[in-house]
Amino acid sequence: MAQPRSSSSSAAAHAAAAIGPGSRVRGRVTGDGDLTVHGRLEGEVQLRGSLFIDEGAHVEANVDADALRVGGTLEGNVSVAGDVTILSGARVRGDVRGASIALHEGGELDGRLDSEFTLPRELGGGGEGGDDNHKKPARR
Amino acid sequence: MASTVIGAGITIEGEVSSDEEVVVQGTIRGKLEAREAVTIEAGGTVEADITAGPLSVAGNVTGNITSSDRVDLQAGARVVGNVKATRITIADGAQFKGNVDMDV
Repeated sequence: MAQPRSSSSSAAAHAAAAIGPGSRVRGRVTGDGDLTVHGRLEGEVQLRGSLFIDEGAHVEANVDADALRVGGTLEGNVSVAGDVTILSGARVRGDVRGASIALHEGGELDGRLDSEFTLPRELGGGGEGGDDNHKKPARR
Repeated sequence: MASTVIGAGITIEGEVSSDEEVVVQGTIRGKLEAREAVTIEAGGTVEADITAGPLSVAGNVTGNITSSDRVDLQAGARVVGNVKATRITIADGAQFKGNVDMDV
């Protein structure tokens, strides 16, 4: 059984927000705090907090959040103020906009990347390579 | 593991269906269908018809409740709607407006 928690807006209460593997949500999800999806979500997500889409999870929604990590499947356009991480094994279909975008080896992306970055010197930019190497400006 | 937790800051407008335990600390508007236990904690709000296994309410519910098991309205709970369940408890301090159908 779940322990009764205080309904204060503590970090612990926020961190606990999750849609379990046996759950399905259809509609609009909004709010403050982090959310983890293990199950299915169809609709729209607007979150002041980070969204984690776990391995095996399936999300069909446009996502607006502070940060996003995808290990499962995401179909929808993404607009994130902070970092987007597409993990190995993840599948993302849609346009992705974020302050920084990391696509791990084995992660799939079908869509456009929209992120401000500086090209490394070798590619004709004046930038400082290194940190930008994981950002793929490519369009697939 | 508490499988599905709608956190305190989260609002869902739509439909939630689940094969596992659901804890509501935030807000659900629309419809809530769960096969297992549902807990609506103090501060949690559900404006929806609820179908569930055992249901425990310490927050706000506006909507009709159907439980395959028991319904516990705890102190501080505020429920407006009809309740259909095999067993029901209404604690001292719980507010309830609606009908009870215990299928006798």
